[in-house]
Amino acid sequence: MASMLEFRTPGFNPYAVKYSPYYDSRLAVAASANYGIVGNGRLFCLGLGAAGVQLEKTFDTNDALYDLAWSEINENQLIVACGDGSIKLFDMGVHDFPVMNFHEHKREAFSVCWNPVSKDNFISSSWDGTVKLWSPTRTGSLTTLPIGCCTYSTAFSPSNPALISAVSADSQIRLFDLRTPVSAKYHLVSVIPVHAPPSGPILPRLAPSAGGAGPPGPTYAGAVPAEVLTHDWNKYNTNVVAAAGVDRVIRTFDVRNPTGGPRSVLMGHEYAVRRLAWSPHASDILASASYDMTVRVWTDGSTMPPVMGPGGPQLPPQQPQDNTVRMGTQLGLMNRHTEFATGVDWCLFGTGGWVASVGWDERVLLWDAHTLLRG
Amino acid sequence: MGALDRLSALGNQLSGGAGVAGGKAKILEKSADDIVVTACLRTAITKGGKGQFKDTPAADLMAGALKAIIDRSGINPGLVEDICVGTVLAPGGGATEMRAAALVAGFPETAAVRTLNRQCSSGLQACVDVANQIRSGMIEIGIGAGVESMSTQYGPGAVTEFSDLLESHPEAANCKVPMGVLSEGMAKARGVSRASQDAFAAASFQKAGKAQAEGLFKEEIVPLKVKYEDPKSGETREIVVDSDDGIRAGVTAESLGKIKAAFAKDGSIHAGNASQVSDGAAAVLLMKRSTAEKLGQTIIGKYVAASIVGVKPLLMGIGPWKAIPKVFELTGITKDDVDIFEINEAFASQCLWCANELGIPQEKINPKGGAIAFGHPLGCTGARQVSTLLYELKRRGQQVGVTSMCVGTGMGMAAVWVAE
Repeated sequence: MASMLEFRTPGFNPYAVKYSPYYDSRLAVAASANYGIVGNGRLFCLGLGAAGVQLEKTFDTNDALYDLAWSEINENQLIVACGDGSIKLFDMGVHDFPVMNFHEHKREAFSVCWNPVSKDNFISSSWDGTVKLWSPTRTGSLTTLPIGCCTYSTAFSPSNPALISAVSADSQIRLFDLRTPVSAKYHLVSVIPVHAPPSGPILPRLAPSAGGAGPPGPTYAGAVPAEVLTHDWNKYNTNVVAAAGVDRVIRTFDVRNPTGGPRSVLMGHEYAVRRLAWSPHASDILASASYDMTVRVWTDGSTMPPVMGPGGPQLPPQQPQDNTVRMGTQLGLMNRHTEFATGVDWCLFGTGGWVASVGWDERVLLWDAHTLLRG
Repeated sequence: MGALDRLSALGNQLSGGAGVAGGKAKILEKSADDIVVTACLRTAITKGGKGQFKDTPAADLMAGALKAIIDRSGINPGLVEDICVGTVLAPGGGATEMRAAALVAGFPETAAVRTLNRQCSSGLQACVDVANQIRSGMIEIGIGAGVESMSTQYGPGAVTEFSDLLESHPEAANCKVPMGVLSEGMAKARGVSRASQDAFAAASFQKAGKAQAEGLFKEEIVPLKVKYEDPKSGETREIVVDSDDGIRAGVTAESLGKIKAAFAKDGSIHAGNASQVSDGAAAVLLMKRSTAEKLGQTIIGKYVAASIVGVKPLLMGIGPWKAIPKVFELTGITKDDVDIFEINEAFASQCLWCANELGIPQEKINPKGGAIAFGHPLGCTGARQVSTLLYELKRRGQQVGVTSMCVGTGMGMAAVWVAE
């Protein structure tokens, strides 16, 4: 790995990193003292220049920071999810204190996401078992969506401003559609069990390189329920969501078929997967950060021709069956972090491979995923 | 907010998952919240109607076992907050006499007592209920126990007459089909041959006989002094009962093959390959690990989890086949992680069928024999299995065990235990 930029966050262990949607040279890191167990939080706003990664601004909070999201309507603003349950809106032009504080969650706020379509609202999830919808201009939440158990991650669909997803400790992905009436189900439209067994045949893992007979990949046959820690919507295929967590397996799902089991399965992480991010540049590429200290780049196999195994015969030319489950392929592994890798994000700009990753080793690493790819 | 909550959430994220590796490692972990066993024992199990306990009421058996728990563990009986006794045949659930038995055993009036009845799994259910009471914080120390005097309480009165309403519902009516009859039907339907049943039963006798000859049961059996009326002379005298009397030496598959089937002319089930009608009691002392350490109690093992399932009443024998995978799902372990399975031998046919379907190797099942060899005092069995299992695991230097049984009217129960 030739070129890699590094920034240190001494005394603070990062939990999340996000590139600005406005500038290719701006990113932010949410970090916590003492591994987020007890102590303060610090938000680092970083800029890239000729001299490398430079600190532009920091904001301190009284409790740990677990996630952040950039505003989609103001290039200087961003929100953080705080251990005391609050969501804080910071402005890089205002020193020290948040310009807004949204405090309704009763336990640790653990993820935030700004609406990328309507851009006028954002959501947060918490260990208190709720997802809340907020307007940046109002201190009270607009809506509360009940999950019922520790909700580690929530996100907006990138194509539909009313569609909200959440993953939680009960091994489920929940989908809420704000266009539906507030019924007894509070906008809940579907529930996807992440551990469900595959409904169709499993295509074997693709050969790692042409002609090379790779080792047989791990086999997959469903799983027991486990906490889901992270998920992300595919940026090109509006119906695909990837989710992962404690059971170390990354799975993709088609939200139109909640009971159909995974569409593809990506196995390789040796500990829980902490963060997933689909590439904004290619429909089949995603990155993952894990407690196993690695960041991995994968293809879910959706754009590759089906192969029956290393050197095996090609499938007949027709489309594979609709319910075929693909084994995804790991394209590269970044192992420079020396502690839990907790955050990963793709730069929206440039040649399409720049990735920022953070870990509890108090480091932010910026690297080009292209250099990881084999061949 | 709570630093400890955050720490434990992180710990769970790291140790959980990956059914391949996480499960066993996780249940072997020791934490202060674990529900541990610091004493477990049983009385001898004797033949119903003619064995050495034939004149001993269930409450006397239980009082003996409870007193032994105090003696063996050295626990201050005033610290025990609840005692749960599984018993199946006692009229009125045996509630009154078990409370009295606890007082006789030396527990002060502050120790509450109740009985429960989940048929053949009552003893296990009692242990699980007490463990759950401790886990939830309702009590700190409790005893799960089980007892049955089939000599004095087994008979036609055990089930009340079914109403017309119950009889009118076909599946409901199936609940009263006698165990032998339905097991015969199941053995036939599932293709369990007479020869394989007899071989399984003979193995149970041989394993139990060997264990008895080597004195292995002495660790778990507490001797009881009881009154016994000699059937020949008619005189009543006091005897000390310290060993199972149902175990017969020299039983082979061939010798069992000569016995006439009991429930159908062309049947396969007979007295030699079904569980014996017996008397006995067992008890298990449970508390949190932190409590045990504070009191200086010796930890023998820990309770991990239990499962309960329902199956068709006529297929009650398949209960363990369904309950064991469920408890695996709850704990994230697989059959390969388990060193010993104590699966109650209600009938050789059903036990063998469940073991084969689950793919459990013969040497892991009931290594010291089971109910076919030494008897199945209904309410006692579930609690009895705990001491049989934990002592054998310790002897072998192994750790993970499962106890399981089928339950009349179509249920199955299973629990995971770890010897320490």
